[in-house]
Amino acid sequence: MSHGTKSYIKGVKVSERHGAGEWMQERLSSLILIPLTLWGLWSGWVLSGAGYDGALDWFRSPVNAIVLTATLLVSLWHMNMGLKVIVDDYIHRPASRNALLGLIGLLCMLLAAAGVFFIVRLALGSAPLPAGFGA
Amino acid sequence: MSTSPLPGDASNDPTDDQSGRFVRQPNGRVRPLSPHLQVWRWHVTMLASILVRVSGGALAVGALLVALWLMALAFGPDAYATFTAWMGSPLGLLVWIGLTAALAYHFAGGVRHLIWDAGEGLTPKSANLLSTVSIAFAVVVTVAFWAGLFMTGRVSL
Repeated sequence: MSHGTKSYIKGVKVSERHGAGEWMQERLSSLILIPLTLWGLWSGWVLSGAGYDGALDWFRSPVNAIVLTATLLVSLWHMNMGLKVIVDDYIHRPASRNALLGLIGLLCMLLAAAGVFFIVRLALGSAPLPAGFGA
Repeated sequence: MSTSPLPGDASNDPTDDQSGRFVRQPNGRVRPLSPHLQVWRWHVTMLASILVRVSGGALAVGALLVALWLMALAFGPDAYATFTAWMGSPLGLLVWIGLTAALAYHFAGGVRHLIWDAGEGLTPKSANLLSTVSIAFAVVVTVAFWAGLFMTGRVSL
């Protein structure tokens, strides 16, 4: 990407900023989420009323743990972009907008880190928290 | 700074406007404010578009609840019992029914937008049909999902 200087490909100006990158990412994440959402709805059905032991059993399947991790991460990626579009539309002061976008990004990363941490523990059959953390 | 008078009657004179129909742009020019939601007649495409955003916002809250679910499960049976007691209460079930509707609608609305992005279904008739179908899909999926959960005894009040 060029910075400051305008560049052209076949007479068409190349974007100096993000171009269509975010648009492509939104569509790509949507496409990936189509099967994952259907799987998530099915999983919600299976886990409803399954209780603590039923949920632990569900996590013993590596397929469930892996697909759930993928669903969580792609959803948070998609959610971060979606919330960014909403903030871009309604918050016009650059300082407020950037602060809010930063907070949303942090929230998404926190949810991703915490979610993966919990899923890994559940998949490995670790003892209930806070085991291993001073208790 | 020049503010060219707008065409029309004197009430459209933006320089002494008291109606809030004009807004001063960052470059200092006074421009008429574009009509907002309450001015437009409601179309199904408009409702469908707004619902995508609303359901997306609701699903962000849903993501927090899913993370909370994982956390409760990882913290053991006592934490999980507390979590399920909250979520299985009438209010909790209402929240999850709402989230199911939001997920089903955001899914259908997303597919509809992908169809439009592919350049298909863009005539007014097709667009209206796709919008109506996506709303109906969400209603049917939500009702079927929860009716099924209650009838199979997976969830009860």
